[in-house]
Amino acid sequence: MNKEPLAWYIAGPMIGLIVPLLLILREKQFGVSSSYRYLISLFTKKPNYFSYDNKVDAWQIQFALGLIGVGLYYFFTNDSDFFFNEDLKNNFPVDFYSLENWFIFLGGGFLVGFGARYSNGCTAGHCIMGMSQLSPASFIATIGFFVGGLIVAYFVNPILFSY
Amino acid sequence: MKKITNIIISISLGAFLGFVLTESQAISWYRIQEMFHFQSFHMFGLLGSAVVTGALSLIIIKKLKIKSMNNNPVKLKDKPLIWKANLFGGILFGLGWGLTGACSAPLFILVGLSWKLGLLLLIGALSGTFFYALLKDKLPH
Repeated sequence: MNKEPLAWYIAGPMIGLIVPLLLILREKQFGVSSSYRYLISLFTKKPNYFSYDNKVDAWQIQFALGLIGVGLYYFFTNDSDFFFNEDLKNNFPVDFYSLENWFIFLGGGFLVGFGARYSNGCTAGHCIMGMSQLSPASFIATIGFFVGGLIVAYFVNPILFSY
Repeated sequence: MKKITNIIISISLGAFLGFVLTESQAISWYRIQEMFHFQSFHMFGLLGSAVVTGALSLIIIKKLKIKSMNNNPVKLKDKPLIWKANLFGGILFGLGWGLTGACSAPLFILVGLSWKLGLLLLIGALSGTFFYALLKDKLPH
């Protein structure tokens, strides 16, 4: 079963609207990956990176709970065709969402966490929020995201999945 | 009361983002591969129009001096420019993004959608964060 995605010109502006909504309703700048730092800071203050005034990031874990809730909604309604979109599988005939690929999820997740904290932001904080503010740091980080992604797409995934 | 309102707002905005990212298939590994192979405009249009909308909103907020719900002026902090960290960290993040097809927000959606895979991602991301904290002083910033 194929399902058309929500068109980019509708979805993109909706994502962009999170920026003013968060600023006006919560006085917060959009970002997601500080939640990792926050989560760990609940359990340990060492290394020093985790000993900070973590209250400022508490909202991000609430935001993340909203994201997890949506995931659960799609899980229970079984409306997750986008995972298995046949059109996309024609381009990449790979059964990616399989537990056999556990090491990719674990290792890739590690890089996402390490990289996001090292670069001081992720796709949300740098690509969307930072570039909306025209922050030079965010343009550099976004270039980095694409350099990393292109390396994987052209040199690593073809070997991992032999396509 | 105020606190509960704030929590509800944060959860709702997270859910709003979750629905849009899922319905637009931006959480799919296949969409991310397609993007990095320049096979479709979808993801570029999505990211581009999100940034344009965000930037225009910020201009409007500034011009009209729109205040926050608590009647405070909207203050923006610039991301500090630490170019080595921004770039090297960015590349590492990009490697992870390309491998898993999930950046930070889709990662949390996956925790709900497919908890075994999602938890692997989350455990990975938290270990990565912890490892960064251990190495922080030794890394170029």
